[in-house]
Amino acid sequence: MTQSPTLSRRAASAPTPPRKSRRRGADTRAGYTFLLPWLLGFIALTVGPMISSLYLSFTNYNLFDAPKWIGFDNYTTLFQDERFLQSVGVTMQYVVFGTPLKLAAALAIAMLLNSKRKGQGFYRSAFYAPSLIGASVSIAIVWKAMFGDSGPVDQGLSFFGINLGGWVGNPNMTMGMMILLTVWQFGAPMVIFLAGLKQIPADLYEAASMDGAGPVRKFMNITWPMLSPVIFFNLLMETIHAFQIFASAYIISNGEGGPAGSTLFYTLYLYLRGFSDFRMGYASAMAWLLVIVVGIITLIFFKTSKSWVHYSGDAK
Amino acid sequence: MIDRRKFLTTVALGTASAAFLSACGQSSSSGQTGSADNPVTITYTWWGNDDRAERTRKAIALFESKNPDVKVNGNFSDFAGYWQKRATEAAGGGLPDVMQWDLSYLRDYGQRNQLLDLGTVKINTDAFEKSLLPSGQIRGKTYGIPTSTNAFAVYYDPAKLASLGIAEPDGQWTYKEFNTFLAEVGAKGNGTLFGGTDYTGIWWNFNIWLRQNNIQAFTDEGKLGFSKDDLKKWWNLTADLRGTEAIVGEDKATQLLPKSPFGSNVTATEVTWDNFMAGYLADSGAKELKLVPVPSDDPDNLGLFLKPSMLMVASAKTKYKDAAARFIDFMVNDPEVGQIFKTSRGVPASKTQRDGTTFEGTDKLVVDYEKSIEKYLKDAPEPPIVGFGTLESTFKRVTQDLNYGKLTVDGAVDAWFKEAEDLIKQNA
Repeated sequence: MTQSPTLSRRAASAPTPPRKSRRRGADTRAGYTFLLPWLLGFIALTVGPMISSLYLSFTNYNLFDAPKWIGFDNYTTLFQDERFLQSVGVTMQYVVFGTPLKLAAALAIAMLLNSKRKGQGFYRSAFYAPSLIGASVSIAIVWKAMFGDSGPVDQGLSFFGINLGGWVGNPNMTMGMMILLTVWQFGAPMVIFLAGLKQIPADLYEAASMDGAGPVRKFMNITWPMLSPVIFFNLLMETIHAFQIFASAYIISNGEGGPAGSTLFYTLYLYLRGFSDFRMGYASAMAWLLVIVVGIITLIFFKTSKSWVHYSGDAK
Repeated sequence: MIDRRKFLTTVALGTASAAFLSACGQSSSSGQTGSADNPVTITYTWWGNDDRAERTRKAIALFESKNPDVKVNGNFSDFAGYWQKRATEAAGGGLPDVMQWDLSYLRDYGQRNQLLDLGTVKINTDAFEKSLLPSGQIRGKTYGIPTSTNAFAVYYDPAKLASLGIAEPDGQWTYKEFNTFLAEVGAKGNGTLFGGTDYTGIWWNFNIWLRQNNIQAFTDEGKLGFSKDDLKKWWNLTADLRGTEAIVGEDKATQLLPKSPFGSNVTATEVTWDNFMAGYLADSGAKELKLVPVPSDDPDNLGLFLKPSMLMVASAKTKYKDAAARFIDFMVNDPEVGQIFKTSRGVPASKTQRDGTTFEGTDKLVVDYEKSIEKYLKDAPEPPIVGFGTLESTFKRVTQDLNYGKLTVDGAVDAWFKEAEDLIKQNA
């Protein structure tokens, strides 16, 4: 999940040196031996539970009693469940608006940090800091206080004559608040963007300058295409990541997805169904539906990527 | 996929460790015991605010000093998060040894063999009202011992009413009169003090209203005993108040959590359990709060009852049955524990503890209140149906949506009934 799909290209195309088969067998064995601890963990902690959850998604498992097979009931019930549909809507909003904004912020800051100025190391760390603490519970609590009635945000806006009141209790404002929280944590994609920007040869820009290209032209014709594999990678990772938002929504809404269901994210509803309502079979069905949907979206990304992602080895 | 993976892992590990634990078996019927040199440690968990946490820690310290062979490891959270944690632990076979419990969840866990049958261990219940004990029993087995009783009441802050020039209520009121009162407070409160919270959002209040109208909430077969029309009437009671200053807006109330609007000095009244007194006093810093009976359109039938405000239960898988039983016995019977908690858990259910506790000031108000309504009291409710906790929280959530204007009363009734019928079908 954390490996770049784009990185494997070069490795796959690299010629493998011929070797004696016995030697290769020993290497393979050694390789798997070293892999073993991870492999065991992967099978016991990921594959096993996933398979059991697949089975449970076809049952009425309630955490206590033996699960009873009910076929596709959980999956068909989902689409008549208004709260489920609400959670899908809320999550899609978050993904569609939050992810591009976050990436735009990450790219903009990365470009600012990509110039040679004094103290860049400091700024890099400073801009990355929110991401280090961003996922923590404490920051969600701080966020809640900041956006509450008479919190700094409310007071700041009131100063300019905008009286919105607290965002936390207003169903129309909570999504904006959640998106701001994720945008603020742009550090991880920013670092990757920065690394990508450093790979772009400076002579391309010099040549463009000599031809009279302005900053916009340079961005569109050099930065964007040269950076496209990195943009693609970040877009994919951040989209998948956005679908999984849970902790901050849980904290800010006291684990209820309120106010009025406005922060009822998919995973939060899944959790509530499983652990508040004891409907683990139902929750498992939701989990698998999410896996399938995220899988399809990833597939679509890869299919469309051919038209806009350029790798350095490509013909064009 | 971290979140999903994490909890799937928990489920898998839980199932595995549960199987492992049960395979280990138990050597003796009383479980492992400790000595003063080598004490056993039992875990205890409860819900509540800081005030209760402080009192509980005092009680634990006292227990440990009297029982040097047992150490108690305490832990607490707020009410909503409490049940999610218990569910996770139950799935993993790791419920704490002793737990504070609510009637709403007794069936969910008791009927599913997660709780210890306290009839098999030594806990003294001689000092309890015989009518109260069945509320901790399911099908003849005792899963919970009530620590104390509570009853529904209307709280008000006399100082706040006086500052608005409003006379204190005497508690003999119809719903219409109560609404008028809330509206008056709201109108004079000038946007900073509201009448109260929407009292139709609390299941137990609805239950009392049903009793006032001689309707049973649940049938003996575990079905709903009331109709959509009944619920419609109930939610329409405050229809005219929603969105006005008589009721604090949901947007405000949400932001005050985990404190209540009443505890945050935003409202002048609150309709809820009488044992919240200590918590409200601590939260609000008010000098004095008073209690009067809930409104009723039938002056002879207030629909009130004494409920076990909380129960003490033990995990069915505890390795320290003896220590757990002693701790429960201590918490429900010991007079010194009564002195520590006063009425913050409710009025002590055990006569030994009640008689050993001196009630003064506001604690006396709570005790006096329960005495004053004695003639109106009906039987305590049986443990509600399986899944009741969900119904209760859905009730609250739907009323919140109602207050946000996201649902009409008809829509709210449909939403709640759909959830309820679905749930009853699931657990049938």
